[in-house]
Amino acid sequence: MQGIDAQLFGVLIAQTLKMATPLILAALGGMFSEKSGVVNIGLEGMMLVGAFSAAVATYFTNNPWFGLLVGMLGGAALALLHAIVCVKFKGDHIVSGTGIILLGAGITTIGLDLVWGNTGQSDQVTLLPNVNIPQLEGIPVIGSIFGTLSPIIYLMFGIVIVCWYVLYRTPIGLRIRAAGEDPSTLDTAGINVENIRILAVILSGVLAGLAGAYLSISFEAAFSRGMTSGRGFIALAAMIFGNWTPVGCLIAGLFFGFLASLEIVLQVVLGVGIVTQYGHFIQMIPFVLVIVAIAGIRKSVPPKGIAVPYEKEKRA
Amino acid sequence: MNTSEINVKPKFNLIKFIKSIPKSIMATIDNPTFQRQAIATVGSIVLAMLIAAIVMLMVGYNAGLGFIALIRSSIVQWDRVLFYATPLIFTGLSVALAFRCGLFNIGPEGQVYVGALAATIVGFSVSLPFGIHPIVCLLIGAFVGFLWGFLPGLLKAYRGAHEVVTTMMLSYTAILLTEWLIKNPYDDPTNDNLVQTISILPTAELPKIFGIFLSWALIVAMLVVLCVYFLLNKTVLGYEMRAVGMNLEAAESAGINSKRTVAVSLGLAGALAGMGGAAEILGYHHRFRKDWSVGLGWDGITVAVLGYSNPFGVLFAAIFFGALRVGGNSMQLIAGIPAEMVVLIQGLIVMFVAAPRVISWLQEKGTLELKMISIDKKRGMPHFITLGITLVCSILGFILLSSISVHSPILGGIVILSSLIAIAAFIMLFMQSESGFKLTIAAGIGWAIVALLGIIYAVNILIIGTVFAAILLVFPLLSLLVIDDKKLENGGNE
Repeated sequence: MQGIDAQLFGVLIAQTLKMATPLILAALGGMFSEKSGVVNIGLEGMMLVGAFSAAVATYFTNNPWFGLLVGMLGGAALALLHAIVCVKFKGDHIVSGTGIILLGAGITTIGLDLVWGNTGQSDQVTLLPNVNIPQLEGIPVIGSIFGTLSPIIYLMFGIVIVCWYVLYRTPIGLRIRAAGEDPSTLDTAGINVENIRILAVILSGVLAGLAGAYLSISFEAAFSRGMTSGRGFIALAAMIFGNWTPVGCLIAGLFFGFLASLEIVLQVVLGVGIVTQYGHFIQMIPFVLVIVAIAGIRKSVPPKGIAVPYEKEKRA
Repeated sequence: MNTSEINVKPKFNLIKFIKSIPKSIMATIDNPTFQRQAIATVGSIVLAMLIAAIVMLMVGYNAGLGFIALIRSSIVQWDRVLFYATPLIFTGLSVALAFRCGLFNIGPEGQVYVGALAATIVGFSVSLPFGIHPIVCLLIGAFVGFLWGFLPGLLKAYRGAHEVVTTMMLSYTAILLTEWLIKNPYDDPTNDNLVQTISILPTAELPKIFGIFLSWALIVAMLVVLCVYFLLNKTVLGYEMRAVGMNLEAAESAGINSKRTVAVSLGLAGALAGMGGAAEILGYHHRFRKDWSVGLGWDGITVAVLGYSNPFGVLFAAIFFGALRVGGNSMQLIAGIPAEMVVLIQGLIVMFVAAPRVISWLQEKGTLELKMISIDKKRGMPHFITLGITLVCSILGFILLSSISVHSPILGGIVILSSLIAIAAFIMLFMQSESGFKLTIAAGIGWAIVALLGIIYAVNILIIGTVFAAILLVFPLLSLLVIDDKKLENGGNE
């Protein structure tokens, strides 16, 4: 019995990390954009394009690392479009984000048709190799999971730290935060608000693209239509839940990932029958919990200058 | 005059209201804001279609046939257009109503689901006379949808919970909950393969008005458009909603109970979506099946955006989206273009709608280009020709891509790169930036490399590459020389 429990615990941790990684990466992306004052509800579209371009590049070159890079570039390209519309042309952020989601869905499906001749699923692509750290596998209880994790999961923890460092300990991070909180002060300091915002939105596209690439070349070994299945929106919720901070995004993402993988564990603990019958309710738990948490625990505070295009001549 | 007469409120006169509609429509058309929005919308649609056509050409679809199929079918199959538009009118109004109160209802999908299931359950379990039954079902659907929207409304008003998160989370919850309900208590016992409920009673069905698709649901939708217009523009609640949407603090200091208004608006938004789900079941599906709604709620967001959150705008946007959907289907059938092309077109339209300044910017740069051609021929003509050839070369590059990359993926990569550089050059040239010429030369060099590699792979690649490289290199170099001449004339400084 002890063995089974330990194994189960290991599975739960591994599964949590696997489910949480795309959410955390995309949430960090959304955070950068929103910290700079640009609402980014288009994460879903950027993730889709990231997943698709990673799969295509991996398919043609058989090199998943190159695919990862192309996936990030794909997400960044779509983010650039969002940045141009929102920052340069002072468009409505939410409307543009809606457009980005549609564009992402449209481009990837047509791309599927062009590259693989169907609009459902791509052919199998090479997976990113899992990281093996033999020294860690000796650790009791959780040692067994280390051989099964994607390098992006380790990368994700590094990215959280880097994001925190960049945002709170570097001048560029300060500028990004200032662009979202008080753009006119930043402008007075002689910094171009528009450039900072464009940079932040592109950064958010890179992270969302990475999250998408993880889905198509590491989590699964193929791209399928609409494979992000709402993860971009859940990432958005994780970002708000995490109060627009890197560590908050990490915790919220891990929490959502944990709830998403709870079903597997409950299947073992409670028996398959009950879980199949009431599985829908277990899947509902994260959504309901988020509502309860957001309504009950504390109020989220978005950046002050969010969704307001910055006009140089206008004084607040 | 005694006091009781003064205190009598002016009675609402339906006939007067209906008579006032044509007048207010005329007033709207004369309104410059409306005209600007209309121009921006039409411009967005035209531009999106243009870009879609270029994309279709690039990736090798038969764009001409595709567009003929799209336009033809959306006129010939007008009943299907209206059929697809009906639920989008409801969900679009739902999002639009919330937008007007400054709220973003991102979860109409779930509200559609709960409304539809509630209507289905009443439809098959309660026995009511013909004529009353569908009305009861619609109202029950709207009521359940109202509850599904009112909860996030309350949370927003009294707990400050962001409605984007709560409505979305409730939307996922609704989809799971309805799926569980139709799998367990309300499962159709006669069919084990499909997850669905039993059919609603014939008395509950909304009768068809034309063909096999179009039902009374459309009429209900039209009436609801009028109701929402009336609510927003002629009632106190509508006034309060718009006031809260424009400026919450100002509305509060004017004595409006903004908390109540927020909660009620999200509730009404939910009711509209719920009624839409009910009408869809009563009018066409007649039973609740798993995943029957193909993203009706999500499309509602786009419809509301395109309709500028105006009830009549939503009506037209929904019909337009219906037409696109019907057109997309026949595009796939006739021209072999995936129906998702339509999603791309929708996305492009929304992007343009998001930033009306793009259109005025394009206008500005376009007139600048024309001016340059007519006034400064020596500089303008080469510039204009270079502009043209960068676009044509990039399109041709993508068309030729598949036949070139057969020989070697490296060749294909270079062709993609040169074509992308050519597009960038086109954009830079259009922006009147001198770096456009340099980018054009870069694209030309890319093709020259293709030509050189063509010596190894095939003769026809050598020929194509040489021609492209020559065209792309000659004109920008010529223009740069012209500009240099100008500089010389002016003594080195412009």
